[in-house]
Amino acid sequence: MTGLIYKDIVALRKQLSTLLLFLIVYGGFCVTGVFDFSILGALVAVFGLTIPMSSVAMDDAAHWDRYAVATPAGRRGVVAGKYVFTLLVIVVSVAVAAGLMVCLSLAGLTETTLDDLVLIALSCGVLTLVLNAIILPFLLKYGAEKARVISMITFVVIFGGAVLLGGLAKDQITLPQPPAWLLTALPVLLGLLAIGSYLISYFIAQGIYAKKEF
Amino acid sequence: MSNALEVCHLTKDYGSFKLDDVSFTVPGGTIMGLIGENGAGKSTTIKCILNLIHRDGGEISVFGLDAIRDERAVKSQVGVVLDESLFHDTLNPVQVGKILSKLYPNWDGRCYGGYLRKFELPEKKTVKTFSRGMKMKLAIAAAFAARPRLLILDEATSGLDPVIRDEILDEFLNFIQDEDHAILISSHITSDLEKAADYVTYLHKGRVVLSGAKDELLDSYGKLVCSRADLERVDRSLLAGSRVGQFGCEALVKDRHAFARRYPGLTVDPATLEDIMVFTGKGDAK
Repeated sequence: MTGLIYKDIVALRKQLSTLLLFLIVYGGFCVTGVFDFSILGALVAVFGLTIPMSSVAMDDAAHWDRYAVATPAGRRGVVAGKYVFTLLVIVVSVAVAAGLMVCLSLAGLTETTLDDLVLIALSCGVLTLVLNAIILPFLLKYGAEKARVISMITFVVIFGGAVLLGGLAKDQITLPQPPAWLLTALPVLLGLLAIGSYLISYFIAQGIYAKKEF
Repeated sequence: MSNALEVCHLTKDYGSFKLDDVSFTVPGGTIMGLIGENGAGKSTTIKCILNLIHRDGGEISVFGLDAIRDERAVKSQVGVVLDESLFHDTLNPVQVGKILSKLYPNWDGRCYGGYLRKFELPEKKTVKTFSRGMKMKLAIAAAFAARPRLLILDEATSGLDPVIRDEILDEFLNFIQDEDHAILISSHITSDLEKAADYVTYLHKGRVVLSGAKDELLDSYGKLVCSRADLERVDRSLLAGSRVGQFGCEALVKDRHAFARRYPGLTVDPATLEDIMVFTGKGDAK
């Protein structure tokens, strides 16, 4: 499995450097005040969703899975490798984005507190984990081309829903108020929900991939 | 001499095509050639052995291990070359080696480097810049470096020029010098198998038409070239197929020695694997 993760990193090295450039450019925009620092958190979602999809697209183009399944890694290794790689991308993206935001904050370039900046990065990481939990089984079953549509629908539903809720709140439509304990425990609960859904997704993907024919 | 590979009553039904009751064994220290026309079931058989597809029936064992139950242990002992190079275009041979060294427990980096040099593959150039021959050489180098006991090759030499094919066949012959090693190679280039294979299994429309030692098959089968009148007086049960042309007739004789005794006036030449395949595959056996 480590070989498969290493393969993803090496095969996507060019793209990873482009994304790093992306991060630096957006960091620059934040410094000049064009964007708010929270945009760096959103980049976590961009990286966490596009990198795994690109890796599957590259595998599809090379018909790599046919070879990988014939190695000792087998079907289970291919699925495990993709899930660990995706998790790695999210963790590294969160760490880089949080690190960058903290540095810029310490330099006095934002008034947002350090806690809030770290929370923004973590929230984006959690959301990306949930999105990947939905998308990865489709990616592994249908390949990148078909799964892209599912990914877009998921994205639209989640972000559309968030925008809708925001709009309702803005229009002062009374939404049911969650109890105070739930609000306090919400970050931990959302974190656990994301991890749980990622684990469930992993087992679903293993089941799907076990039936796949090459 | 133990068997490296045993395929028993293998069945896979696609609806439009069925691999039907395929059985053969590959003894250690030998090369088994899997021949057959396009769509005969060669790749399907290999995919079943590698668990790339799910079989509907039958048993497959590699060095006595069940191909499904002991999948990981089996695949650790199998080197694979499929009909195309499946390495990413952006990778170079050194990176391919590093990746595979983490996948195969017996990976031999020195052996891999040796083959890269032997096949004159540039270590730092990406796969994208390689010709088809170079890509296949890379796949073969990787398969050898996994230090397998069984090599499985699916049309690995197709599309390669005769010089490269000859070079690669020599490597296969070196590989099976160890009696613990064996090769299963599918190809429709029968001349390659005539040179290298010890055993041949001929698949036709998903079924095994014949399977046995290549030398015995080539010694037994013969090609009769005669006139239409001569062909008409021959006992058809001695023939595996015939072809009537404008200038004469050709027929595949099942046992050329027995035939020669019965028809001393007719000339029967040794048949090639291609003759056996063509006469049987055309389905005009009479």
